[in-house]
Formats: sequence, structure tokens, C-alpha cells
Amino acid sequence: MKINDNCVGCGQCTAFCKIDAIIVKSKAHITDACVNCGVCAAYCPMKAIEADE
Amino acid sequence: MKAIVIGAGLGGLLSAAKLSGEGYEVEVFERLAMIGGRFTNFNINGYQLSTGALHMLPHGPTGPLAQLIKEVNADVVIKRQDDTAFMRIHEDLEKGIYKDVPFGKFGSTFSAWNRIKLALLLISTRKWSPKNCSLGEWITKNLNMPVAHQMADSFCGWALSLKAADTPVEEAFEIFENLYRHGGPGVPIGGCKAVTDALANVVRKNGGNIETKTEITEILVENGKAIGVLIDGQRHMSDIVISNIGHPFTNDLCKDAPTSPQYKQYLDKIRTIKPSAGVKICLAANEPLIGHGGVLFTPSAKRVNGINEVTNIDPKLAPPGKHLVMAHQTVQWDRIPYLEEEIDLGIADLEQIFPNKDYEIILAQSYYDGWPVNRSSSGTDIGNTTPIEGLYVVGDGAKGKGGIEVEGVAMGVKNTMNIILGEGN
Ligand SMILES: Cc1cc2nc3c(=O)[nH]c(=O)nc-3n(C[C@H](O)[C@H](O)[C@H](O)COP(=O)(O)OP(=O)(O)OC[C@H]3O[C@@H](n4cnc5c(N)ncnc54)[C@H](O)[C@@H]3O)c2cc1C
Ligand code: SF4
Ligand code: SF4
Repeated sequence: MKINDNCVGCGQCTAFCKIDAIIVKSKAHITDACVNCGVCAAYCPMKAIEADE
Repeated sequence: MKAIVIGAGLGGLLSAAKLSGEGYEVEVFERLAMIGGRFTNFNINGYQLSTGALHMLPHGPTGPLAQLIKEVNADVVIKRQDDTAFMRIHEDLEKGIYKDVPFGKFGSTFSAWNRIKLALLLISTRKWSPKNCSLGEWITKNLNMPVAHQMADSFCGWALSLKAADTPVEEAFEIFENLYRHGGPGVPIGGCKAVTDALANVVRKNGGNIETKTEITEILVENGKAIGVLIDGQRHMSDIVISNIGHPFTNDLCKDAPTSPQYKQYLDKIRTIKPSAGVKICLAANEPLIGHGGVLFTPSAKRVNGINEVTNIDPKLAPPGKHLVMAHQTVQWDRIPYLEEEIDLGIADLEQIFPNKDYEIILAQSYYDGWPVNRSSSGTDIGNTTPIEGLYVVGDGAKGKGGIEVEGVAMGVKNTMNIILGEGN
């Protein structure tokens, strides 16, 4: 998954990633640990989490 | 009668609870996989952080929100610790020399002459509210002292996520009046989530329906009247539509909005709405950092406006023996591009305020634009109705006058219900 420019850094997504693959400070950063399960995207209020092409 | 509610935030759920209790058929549609919007909890390592609010109701168990919660029979316990608002005034920031002055006695740090002036001003302003300037300008005119400005910035930053210079003075005095009228803050036991979950329970008990993972993509408008919404290309019809997403986003969903001069005026008003920005830093503490369940205002800090430690009221918001401490700071609009720096300045403030204390940072959360502290900053609210018949806006994008945050949300919902159901419902 990747983060687009909509992200405000609210940190909501981090809590819902079971494997702690998201770090947030002013914006979210998805680390290499991400397994692309897509769970976090359903909790982002800014539609900032998208699938990689 | 049928009502459709767009968004399961606090305003949407309050409206849904009230209307379902008055015999309306109610359906709430929420885009996310969870309800509560900026007023619910999420768990990180046993700490109940929140999606927005700092687990605090500005007027506690006696405010407009508490009254509305009771009115709709939602089961929420709200606790207040009396006399627990302090201003931490630093005489020497480097050496860590400070005084914690009770909020009601903040005049005690002023010189004798300014204390007399403040007392006179407080009496006269309760009778004749000042007008047409910002709180910042008013202080410059009436009590020009750096500490007064710092206190005002800290209070406005905490309560409104604004600088005093951006807070209309009428709104500030209406808030002070409400503090006299309704009292100070309190904590819902279980945090924000306890409130929104209890409201959702009321909606369901009254026969209403709440769907998550369901985005409304259009508000259907025919002959200037809202007739329903569009979801996944399907039309869902209703007698009224209540939007919990603020006026600008509501207007974006009205693809067939009228082109009348009245609607043009509405669009002009929408353009004046400014969402407020802020940063919240959440700390996991192994010892109490504040020691009470109220607010510690921090006027001497560079960025942080105020801090609370809600675990002094509800210990279950953190693992046993630990404390959840949350610091709030305003972010001025021109600083949004430098958020990371703003967060670092906030963290540096906390190191100065709590030297040698045993805590860790859990998360720094930032808010602006589409997910702000307040969808319309104080003084930019434009009411709950729209030029489209049967379309109402609730939430912090349509608060009542002088209503701080969720108290303003409750006042706006109350007003909307009076319009829909008639006064004295
Ligand atoms: C950092 C911070 C600190 C705060 N501190 C406090 C505090 O201590 N005390 C206090 O009283 N207040 C505080 N607030 C303010 C308070 O959190 C908000 O005023 C309140 O939660 C706003 O609720 P709302 O009714 O406007 O709904 P929102 O929370 O904005 O909910 C709107 C809902 O609509 C959904 N939605 C959006 N678009 C659609 C669509 N097209 N279809 C379906 N659903 C949609 C969203 O997903 C969301 O769930 C704070 C806010 C922040 C950010
Ligand atoms: S897609 Fe799944 S694994 Fe990747 S960050 Fe989101 S929740 Fe975590
Ligand atoms: S939930 Fe969305 S907006 Fe919030 S930090 Fe994560 S990606 Fe950014």
C-alpha cells in the first residue's frame, strides 16, 4: 500500500495495522513490513491509503 | 417520516438518537469501518488514544452535551474533578521555576493596577460584551501585558485550536459566559468511545440502522428539496437528510444544487469557513505527570497550549498503574507545511514542562483541512440549515454560538431538532 498527499497525519491507521507497518509523524509512512492486506485503508478518514500499482 | 444521516460522528449519532426516539425511521451511513468519527478510541499498547478529542467534555456533567445525552436516554457517566484547572506560569523556563495558578485566579499573576483593571473589565464585559475585534486585539487595548496574551493564547489554543488573535472577541466572551453558566470540563468514563457507542446503542434500540463501510456519494435534490442519497449507484429515499460532514463537503455532494441567488449567497458564506488545525501528542507515563483530572494550561510554553491526564478520573484509559497524558497545540495555518517541526517544538516543550519524569511518546497526531480539530473555527459557523429544503448540517462544522467543541456540536444538534420537530420537543 502507499500513502497519497491527502494524509494529514491523524495516526488512526497505525492502530489498525496488526503488524505495526505504519509509522506516523505529520504524515503516515508505510514500511517494508507491509503485507498489503488493505485493512488500514478502511480506517483512514482522508482516503490517503491506496493500493500500489 | 424517514431521516438519512450522512456520517456516524458525534453530531450524526446525536441527531439519529433523538429522531429515532421521536418515531422517525432513521438510517445512518458511515464511510469508515468504524463509527464515532473524531470522537472515539483506538487502542495502542493498552492506552486508549482517541481519533480526535482529548477525552474531555468542556462543560462536563452539566453542559449542553451531557443534557442532550440524558435527553436521548444514552447511558454515559461523566465525571468532573472540581477546581482542577491550572495555569503553569514559568518564572524561569530554563531552571524550571514555575507556579501553578488556579484558572479562576489567573489575575493573581498580574500587577496590582492590572488586577484592578481586570476586575473592572470582568464586571463590565459581562454586562456589555465587547465587539468587532479579536480577543488578542482586545487584550492589547485593555491589559497590554505579555502574560495576558500568553494566557489567552493558551486558553484559545486548548479550547478552540486558535490563536487569541484569530478568535473573535464576542465568541471568546460568550465562551467565558458559558463557563460561568455550565461549569468546567469533565471526562466520560470509558473516554470518547463510551459516548458515541452509547448513542449508537440508543439508535439501534429505537429501531434505527447504522451501516459502516458505506459512503454516500451524492445528495439527491429535486426542485430545491433533498429527497434522498446515492450509495453505490443506488438511490435511497428519505424525507430529510442530515449531514455530519460540514457545509463545504455537504455542498460538494449536492450535484443538482439550485442555481438561485439564495444558493449563491450560501456558497459565498461557505467560503468564509476556516477549519482549525492542531497537534495532539500522546504520552505513556509510568508516574503521574499532572496528578489531577482537569487541565494544565501552559502559557509559558512555545507551542503546547494545555495538557490533561484523564487517567486520574478513569484509570482504565491506560494499563494498570500507568497514565495517559495528552498535550494539545494549535497549528497556525501558515505553519501547516512545517508540521514535523511544529511537532518537534511541542515535544521540546513537554521535555521542559516535565523534566526528569518517566514517560514515553506513544503517538503525535496532526489535524487540518478535511480532518481538522474543528470544521469551522469559532466565529465562522453559519448555522444548521441550507437553502435546500430538508437538508440540515450538524457537527462541529455547524455549532451553536459560544459552544466549545462538542458542547457546540450538541447546541447545534439541539437547534436542528427544534427546527425539525418544533420548539420544546
Ligand atoms: C486533536 C483534537 C482534539 C480535540 N479535543 C477535544 C476535546 O478535548 N473536547 C472536545 O469537546 N472536543 C475536542 N475536539 C473536537 C471534537 O473531536 C469534534 O468537534 C467532534 O468529534 C466532531 O464531531 P462531528 O459531529 O463534527 O463529526 P465527525 O467526527 O467529523 O464525523 C463525521 C463522520 O462522517 C463520515 N463521513 C464523511 N464523509 C462521508 C460520506 N460521504 N458518507 C458517509 N460518511 C461520511 C466520517 O468518516 C466521520 O466518521 C478535538 C478534536 C481534535 C482533532
Ligand atoms: S496494508 Fe495491512 S500490513 Fe500494510 S500497512 Fe495496511 S494494515 Fe498494515
Ligand atoms: S489514517 Fe489516513 S490521514 Fe490518518 S495518518 Fe493514516 S494515512 Fe494519514
